[in-house]
Parts: sequence; C-alpha cells; structure tokens
Amino acid sequence: MSGVIPLSWSLALSATLFVIGVVGVLVRRNALVIFMSIELMLNAANLAFVAFGRSLQSLDGQIFVFFVMTVAAAEVAVGLAIIVNLFRLRETVFVDEVNLLKG
Amino acid sequence: MIFLFAGFAALLVASSLLVVLHRNPVTSALFLVLAFCSLGGIYLLLQAEFVALVQVIVYAGAIMVLFLFVIMYLNLRQDVERGVQTAIRRGLGWLVGAVLLAEAFALIAKRWQVGPVSGGPEMLEGNTQAIGRALYTRYLFPFEITSLLLLVAMIGVIVIAKGRGGTAAADDSAEEKP
Amino acid sequence: MREYLPILLFLIVAAVFAGSTIGMSSLIVPRRRNARKDSAYECGVDPVGNARARFTIKFYLVAVVFILFDIEAVFLYPWAVTFRQLGLYGLVEMLLFIVILLVGYVYLLKKRAFEWD
Repeated sequence: MSGVIPLSWSLALSATLFVIGVVGVLVRRNALVIFMSIELMLNAANLAFVAFGRSLQSLDGQIFVFFVMTVAAAEVAVGLAIIVNLFRLRETVFVDEVNLLKG
Repeated sequence: MIFLFAGFAALLVASSLLVVLHRNPVTSALFLVLAFCSLGGIYLLLQAEFVALVQVIVYAGAIMVLFLFVIMYLNLRQDVERGVQTAIRRGLGWLVGAVLLAEAFALIAKRWQVGPVSGGPEMLEGNTQAIGRALYTRYLFPFEITSLLLLVAMIGVIVIAKGRGGTAAADDSAEEKP
Repeated sequence: MREYLPILLFLIVAAVFAGSTIGMSSLIVPRRRNARKDSAYECGVDPVGNARARFTIKFYLVAVVFILFDIEAVFLYPWAVTFRQLGLYGLVEMLLFIVILLVGYVYLLKKRAFEWD
C-alpha cells in the first residue's frame, strides 16, 4: 500500500465524468448516444458513492451502487425498446426530428 | 497507486470524451465499454473489489451488448450534424458543461469535506462477504423491491417491443438479406 | 495492493506473448500475394456485402432477458458466500426474490418471447 487516493481526487473524477455526460446529452441528437451519456452520468454517481464509502469506511456506498446498477439495467432495457419502437414509427433516432407534439 | 489511479482516470476521461465526440454510434459504444472497464479499475483501487467485477460483468458485458444489438438493428451510419441550429446547440451544450465543471471544481477545491481517512482497518473477511451480510440484513427491503423493478422492466419491454397481440414483432422490417 | 501482483504479472505475460507472437509471425512470414490469398476467407466462401448488416429484433429480446437475469446472478453471488451466516432467513428472502422474477419468466413464456419464429 503506497498511499491512499485522496477523496477529492475521486470526487473530481466523478464530477468530470458527470459533466461529460451532461455535455453529451446536450450536444448530441442521436437518442442512442444520449442514452450512453446518461449511463456515464449514472456511473459518475456510482463513483462518488464508492469514493465516499471508502473515505467513511462504510459499505453502504457500495451497496447503493448495486441498486443504481439495477435501475440502470431496467432503464436501458425499457429505454432501448422505446427507441426501437420510435425507429419503427418514424424511421429516425434523432431527438429533434421527433416533434409530433409541437403541433 | 496514485499513478495507477491517474492512469485509469486519464483513460476513463479520454474514452468517455470520445463516446460523446465520435460520430459513429458503434465506435461510441465500444469506447463506452473501455470507459466502464477503466472505471472498474478505479473501483479496484478504491477497494471495492466486488463492485469492480460487477461493473465489468453488468455494464461492459450485458448493457453494452444490448446497446450494440440495438445499433446493429437500426443500422446507423455516421451521424450528420449540420445547420445553424445544431451549431448553436452544440455551443450552448459545451458552455453549460464548462460552467458545471468549473462549479464542481470550485466546490471540491473548498475542502469542506473530511479529508482522506488514512488507511483504516483492513477488513478480515472478503469484500463480497461483507457486502452480502449488509445487503441481506439491513438492506433487505430495497433488495426485494429490486426484484419488483426487474419484473416491471421485463413486462414493460415485452409490451413495448412485441405489442399486446403476442405476435412476434409484427412489422419486423429487419430481416437480413440472404 | 500486493495481492494483485499475480494479476499484473499475468497481464504482462499475456501482452508480451500476444505481441511477440504477432510480431514474430509478421517478421518471418513469407509473403506471396495474389488475389486469392488476399480475400477475406482464403479457403471459404467469398464475403458478400458489408459486415454491418441489420440484425433482427429477436436478438434484442433475448439480450434484454439476459440482462435481467444477469442482475439476478449478481445478487445471488454475495448471497451464496454468506449463506451459512444468514441461514433460513436468507433462504426465505432469496426465494421471495426468485419467485418474483419467476413470475416475469412465466409471463415471457406465455408471451412466446423465446420462440424464434
């Protein structure tokens, strides 16, 4: 053990990952890439959980990660099914071309 | 250890940036796999061994396979991102990202949080065992709710993807050519 | 971190082995190029079209079911290593978990999600 990783490093990495996810959601129009960016944000939250758990010598952070992963899996399954249906109906996965409700 | 962390962090940031920047969705998905694997390495360094392995199994193994199947089904090529409106949105997106990042780092730099707890008692039993004991005693109720969530997801996917009739994917236009 | 030393060694050996095998073969292999030898499968069928062909959506349903049961397996693992400490209590809660997921499985069977055609 040649030193412990400071909590602030992990938090900075988590914040960076989250911001990359936010930028991905805002910048891209492809619904699939937006979904991947959402996964990045969820992973940033997971990293913060694990980092805090390590710093507080507690396992609770790691257990929350399991629940987040379960939610992510369910969300991906349903979300991708919605994208598939959207593609069948409108022949597009670009979110700004789906403007049926705009009138 | 610090160097390992820096290496994994650099790999993670670079590959997740490429996920966002690359035009081809298949390449984005593969870089996302790399990002998840390097995040698994960071979990290992943070002494969350079981979480690290689950990260690789669930995210890189299962979730990304689902992404790739959908990308292959939709048969997407390069994304076209042109036009003034798109450019404005891109600029705004990067601006918001920069502001958020600056804000986050300003908060972290304040050092209001507790510093790194040095060392700490090494756990005698394995990480997986400790997780198991906490998960199945203190977190019993959330654990059972998780199964309900998975059930709902399963039913939701079938209803959305197959329709109510129970017929296999009515207008399955994706039959591959012989 | 010392217990990860064998894994590091393993990674190094794997990288060196793979690199040296490919490097050596690219160094000493004789090269006689012709059209037949340069085709993708030298002795097989000729490749037709792009490899990025469209998949059918049926793969997607199988992959979704795989994810959900993958998560179940992840929860089973820490349960299995603490089974002796948890005793009957743990058995009952895991049975409840599996029964709830089994309901979904029966639903999938009823909806014929596993039938290929």
